[in-house]
Amino acid sequence: MNEKEFSIVTAHVHDARKPLNRISMQAELVKMALQGEVPVDRALTALDKIIASTKDCSEQLTHMVDILGNSITE
Amino acid sequence: MLTVLLVDDDPEFTDVACTIIEFLGHEVLTAGNLQEARDWLEKEQFDHVLLDFMLPDGSGVHLFEELDQLAKRPRVTLITGHPSVRGIIKGLCGPNIDYLVKPIQREEIEAVLEGKKSSKGTGGSNIKKHFGHLIGESAQMKELYKLIERVSRTSANVMLLGESGVGKEVVAESIHEASEVEGPYVATNCGAFSKELIGSELFGHEKGAFTGAVGRKSGVFEQAEGGTLFLDEITEMPIDMQPNLLRVLENKVVIRVGGTKTIPVACRVVSATNRTMEEIAESKVLREDIYFRLAVFPITIPPLRERKEDIPLLATYFIDELNKENDTRFEWDESQLDMLTAYDWPGNVRELRHFVHRAAIMSDPDKTELELPKTIESPFAKKQSTTPALQAGRTIEDVEKELIYATLEKVNGNKTLAAEMLGISTKTLYNRLHAYGDLSKEE
Repeated sequence: MNEKEFSIVTAHVHDARKPLNRISMQAELVKMALQGEVPVDRALTALDKIIASTKDCSEQLTHMVDILGNSITE
Repeated sequence: MLTVLLVDDDPEFTDVACTIIEFLGHEVLTAGNLQEARDWLEKEQFDHVLLDFMLPDGSGVHLFEELDQLAKRPRVTLITGHPSVRGIIKGLCGPNIDYLVKPIQREEIEAVLEGKKSSKGTGGSNIKKHFGHLIGESAQMKELYKLIERVSRTSANVMLLGESGVGKEVVAESIHEASEVEGPYVATNCGAFSKELIGSELFGHEKGAFTGAVGRKSGVFEQAEGGTLFLDEITEMPIDMQPNLLRVLENKVVIRVGGTKTIPVACRVVSATNRTMEEIAESKVLREDIYFRLAVFPITIPPLRERKEDIPLLATYFIDELNKENDTRFEWDESQLDMLTAYDWPGNVRELRHFVHRAAIMSDPDKTELELPKTIESPFAKKQSTTPALQAGRTIEDVEKELIYATLEKVNGNKTLAAEMLGISTKTLYNRLHAYGDLSKEE
């Protein structure tokens, strides 16, 4: 991997951490709801947000692969 | 209950984090960028700031200067996306910063707000850390753990004695951890401040108390309220400042520099020095009355050479940590651990840690083998070779031979110089080397 490709990967990994962090926090919220520490409906919202974040993360990775692919063919 | 400022540009994260922080019984306000954070800091007083490293209008580190100017500096936890940033920030901001590495978990937030290091994130190594900090299973360390446990049940002031690098600050943190107090752990180095500034550092100052006192500042005694105050290098504190410290220890109140109001303070004081008790008494660097106030419970931390069985454990822990930080897979082999154990480590655990770090840098990151230098060089070392220390049972001839070779190595093989250093004639030196079979008859 050359320097340019490495910086592309670094930038995308940084962006992918955001949805991963959201997933982690929303999962904590689900745990709290299951333990009765917050209302149960918050768990449902949190699970929807987890699903949305996994899609975000997947998109980030696809986007990174596309950019890397273009950079290699250049 | 703490008042927390959460600075992060991801509203979904801040929303959930706020729910968790509020559930933990704290009050929380949020800012999405540096400017909003600055606005809040002008209006409100915070106990803790959770600060994202990368914000839309700059790095969270830019807020440090403003935080330093505050009357009561809040504790800061930096939120970073990459574990390697930790090392860089540590270099920039010093050791008294906590970190959260994304993705974050609830118990990590809980741990930083309670002023305790999270057990998560330090995983990877199976080595037991006593009181969350101390490593070692030797009899000397077990005795130390017993003392920490006993004193943690009381509020007595502790004085830590031990050579440089034995880990006095780590023991202080362990005492804090074991005490399970509500207040924070605050550390300061009495040797790092001039006579003029030490008063302000310890007791705080009022606005305009001296040139440069642009705002009101609380001292470390106030900051450590309900917790533990660690005063490192206590014997380096100017002697004429010591009566002021005595007054605080006796009356449990501080008066800020330039102020008149007495402020009650309650914290355990853990002080440390690398001088022995005899040196303290003889050199008169510490007033007797202060000594007895601080050293209600003195603890001597053993040097590493007196607990050599802990060296492999420590070396393994350090390399595990470096592996985790740098994504490497270095491993010690038995002979290397034997070599480390044979050395005396005059710079103690600190020297061992630096040596392991250097070895990791020198080694090929794609391999598991660690490359070690042939000798362990230290400017502070009394003994610079990796051969065992002077031990009973060795013959005078053996020790003489070792000394001759060590001297020759030191002067790059120059026999005249070596003879001079050894206090023998060049002829005697040649005779010895002949006897060892190291010189041909012509030489």
